[in-house]
Amino acid sequence: MERVNRGSALMWVIVALVVVVGGFSILGGKGGAPSTETGPIKIGVIGPLTGDAAIYGEPFRNTVQLAIDEINATGGIGGRQVEAIYEDGQCNGKEGANAAQKLVNVDKVQAIIGGVCSGETLTVVPIAEKGRVVVVSPSASSPALTGISPYFFRPYPSDASQGNVLANIAYTDKGWKKVAVIQEQVDYAVGLYKVFNQVFSGLGGKTVKEEFSSNVTDFRSVLTKLKAEKPDALFVLTQTAASTQRILKQMEELNWKPQIILDEASAGDKETLTTYKSQLEGALTSEFIPDLSNAKLQKLMSDYKAKYGTELPYLGYMAPAYDIVYILKDGIASVGYNGEKLATWSRTIKDWQGASGSVTISSDGDRVGGYSSEVVHDGKTEPYKK
Amino acid sequence: MDIAIQIALNALIAGAIYSLVVLGFNLLYSTSRFFDLGYGAIAIAGGYAVLYFYKLLGLELWSSIILGIFIAGILGFCIEKIIYRPLRTRKASSAVLLIASLGVLTVIQAVLAILFTSQFQTLGRGAGESRTFEIFGGAITQTQSIILITALVVMTALGLVLKYTLFGKAVKAIADDEEVASIVGINSERMIGIVFFIGSAIGGMAGIATGFDTGLQPTIGLSLLLKGVIAAIVGGIGNVYGGVLGAFLLAIIENLGAWQFSGEWKDAIAFIVLVVFLLFRPQGILPK
Amino acid sequence: MEYLIHIAVLVCLYGILGLSLNLVVGETGLISVAHAGFYGIGAYVTALLLVGLGMNFFLAMALGIIASGLVALLISGVISRLRGVYFLFGTIGLNIIAWSIFLNWQSVTRGPLGIPSIPRPGIWGLDLYQNLQFLFLAAASLAIVYFISVFIKKSSFGRVLNSIREDEEATQIFGYATSYYKLAIFTIGAMLAALAGALFATYITYIDPSSFTINESIFIFSTIVLGGLGSSRGAVLGPLLLVFLFEGFRFAGFPSEIAAQMRMLAYGFALVLLMLYRPKGIWGTFRI
Repeated sequence: MERVNRGSALMWVIVALVVVVGGFSILGGKGGAPSTETGPIKIGVIGPLTGDAAIYGEPFRNTVQLAIDEINATGGIGGRQVEAIYEDGQCNGKEGANAAQKLVNVDKVQAIIGGVCSGETLTVVPIAEKGRVVVVSPSASSPALTGISPYFFRPYPSDASQGNVLANIAYTDKGWKKVAVIQEQVDYAVGLYKVFNQVFSGLGGKTVKEEFSSNVTDFRSVLTKLKAEKPDALFVLTQTAASTQRILKQMEELNWKPQIILDEASAGDKETLTTYKSQLEGALTSEFIPDLSNAKLQKLMSDYKAKYGTELPYLGYMAPAYDIVYILKDGIASVGYNGEKLATWSRTIKDWQGASGSVTISSDGDRVGGYSSEVVHDGKTEPYKK
Repeated sequence: MDIAIQIALNALIAGAIYSLVVLGFNLLYSTSRFFDLGYGAIAIAGGYAVLYFYKLLGLELWSSIILGIFIAGILGFCIEKIIYRPLRTRKASSAVLLIASLGVLTVIQAVLAILFTSQFQTLGRGAGESRTFEIFGGAITQTQSIILITALVVMTALGLVLKYTLFGKAVKAIADDEEVASIVGINSERMIGIVFFIGSAIGGMAGIATGFDTGLQPTIGLSLLLKGVIAAIVGGIGNVYGGVLGAFLLAIIENLGAWQFSGEWKDAIAFIVLVVFLLFRPQGILPK
Repeated sequence: MEYLIHIAVLVCLYGILGLSLNLVVGETGLISVAHAGFYGIGAYVTALLLVGLGMNFFLAMALGIIASGLVALLISGVISRLRGVYFLFGTIGLNIIAWSIFLNWQSVTRGPLGIPSIPRPGIWGLDLYQNLQFLFLAAASLAIVYFISVFIKKSSFGRVLNSIREDEEATQIFGYATSYYKLAIFTIGAMLAALAGALFATYITYIDPSSFTINESIFIFSTIVLGGLGSSRGAVLGPLLLVFLFEGFRFAGFPSEIAAQMRMLAYGFALVLLMLYRPKGIWGTFRI
């Protein structure tokens, strides 16, 4: 056994620690002081900026920055510029907690926009609550977040109404008795399936479900199996348009073109709709963006494209993200930049008009109302008419 | 009967990609003897290189592919030279090499995400562009057939090279015992460098194939690598034909499992197969 | 301040994980990356008992530890005849199978929905709501595990473990039933990991399968390689360093569009550099 020279090893450790901790406090000192009355307004933002869920985190970051830039260009809020501090939550509870700890206790923000995933959000809320910081999520949809804290609200409805709407139309209007479901194993999809299944079976229908974990890219055998069930329709329940595109492509290769029910994660992705136009013809879906003719939404989409060079994806999540920044602007202008006051104020939001439609927040923090059903026609979504 | 045929075809397609992964992995592992996490990322980098040349620069398809394969090879070669070789010279343990390769994986993934964003991208140009062949009621596309043929060609070529050329014999010697090989006069350092180039290039092919078939994201390298590991162990570590056999077997079991059980247990099934083989036949089906 | 307290809690948790893995890897030479699986078992069992039955925390934790130990006993009976790299691959398979169960056994674990609203532990009527209070519990646990670890290391049991690490066959010739020793230490390691899992669940109040992936196992493994295998001090210092490093990069002031990616890049880079300059880890006394 060889013994490492203890003295030098110890020195090495100490040096490393000093460098890291030192850099930490020097650079961290930048954000350490709480916002003064005249300094910039610092808002925390938590999202999955790296990892598999970065496909949401990146546009989310971009959308928030877009809104902030717009606000700053018109003078900021009460004459103060707005600054976002972005932290990576990696769609994971532990990282979300780390990010929240830093934002609440080191940067001393009064508001946090995020998380994007329920997993991140569920650990952020308790920490924010302790620090009396308000948390607003554009897309975390877990039912566990309903009423979790007076410091949390979300301009995003719970999955319950989407599942309900779809199940009713599928059974009653379309007369589909057997629906195959290919579902990703994420909280959003699991929750939505549960509601859909409950309502659909309650009406007398039958579902056949296959699940897949998020890292799967080869759906061929699962699809083959579902195809053999000869269902009236296939419900593609994924978290990302990427998985949906893979599924649609593989379905086409397998020569299977059933009627499709789409969830909003994919319905909101224009590229999916146009690329898979023929397969998606007549597909049933439901989004809570009532229609793409919402002027604010259209402006958001064109501004995003102009600034970032790509189409805005996942409208169902990004429109609320954009709205959140403006909602906070109104809140701060109204009650000042204070977490506690903003939290109380949030429950008074009623019929606030945004890119995602009309926003009303109920007493448990959830958005009221929400989903309208739609049909895909010629590569675009349109409101569903009986 | 339709379903069974389609399941079988699905397995062929998946197996072809796994074959490419395992061919490269086997080559690298047999000479360097450590679990290189970076390999998965280098494979994906090859796919992204093709994305860059073909889609962003608009170069012609086959030139882009050749460039992509070459870049994957060079990347692997450089990493071996700069990182793994110094570590091995210092007689670092395989655990240390593993951690270093984790660093490599993390860095490459981060770079790919910065350059290409984390969004999912395919190399093909839209849906339905590829001709589909009907075989006994099942469907397979032209692209998939090409991938399948490529995998078989590479396997044959590699098998022949390793068996009949001087180079191949030298590689085998190093795989058996590096020290003895250098005593006998084989420049093992240079050989390992070349092996890393070839192995990474083959990995790049797997990445490119994945890019055409199921699409690219910076983070899919690790699971691709793990599939290759299972295929290698099932088929026989160090044996070229064994690896390919293992790859197709793995694909068949995965797809059968998805068919007979539920799709969501696909990962667990693959790894249960791994554990079973480790227990009862660790040398694999075709031992060296 | 609060943030540092939070980081300190994490360091304690990873310290416990590091110590428990070190007993298996550093002292006995069994290269395992299954640890996140046992961490997860501890977390899930504790969480379910706390949320579902409102059980006292320490009782729930004890049950979690026992559950993890039982699973470890079962498994290690199965894989303990694997050696070296094969053992490593086996543990990879195990971790992924465990994760798959967390994800798919939805009637129990709620799968991706996770288990929210886990209460903090209550000791003599005092609810450890404040993080500082929790830190005391975490630090006390770390100290206990550290003493257990040192005790094992210095005992004759520990010496047998070391000799298994150095040369298992020779140890067998001397009349020691090495499989029992390996089984024992693997189980002990698993139980200590479950302890960390229980603490994690109550601290962060929400768990889901994403915290117990193979990546997490690899991270724990990295912390002890960095700290130095075979050293209890190293098993705590390694995690300290890596946790600080990873969090520290949040403050590095990278340009915000790519800050998160740069953080991963810097982290990967740091891993590679650390391995290049200190291949034995900082306090290491052993190379595999």
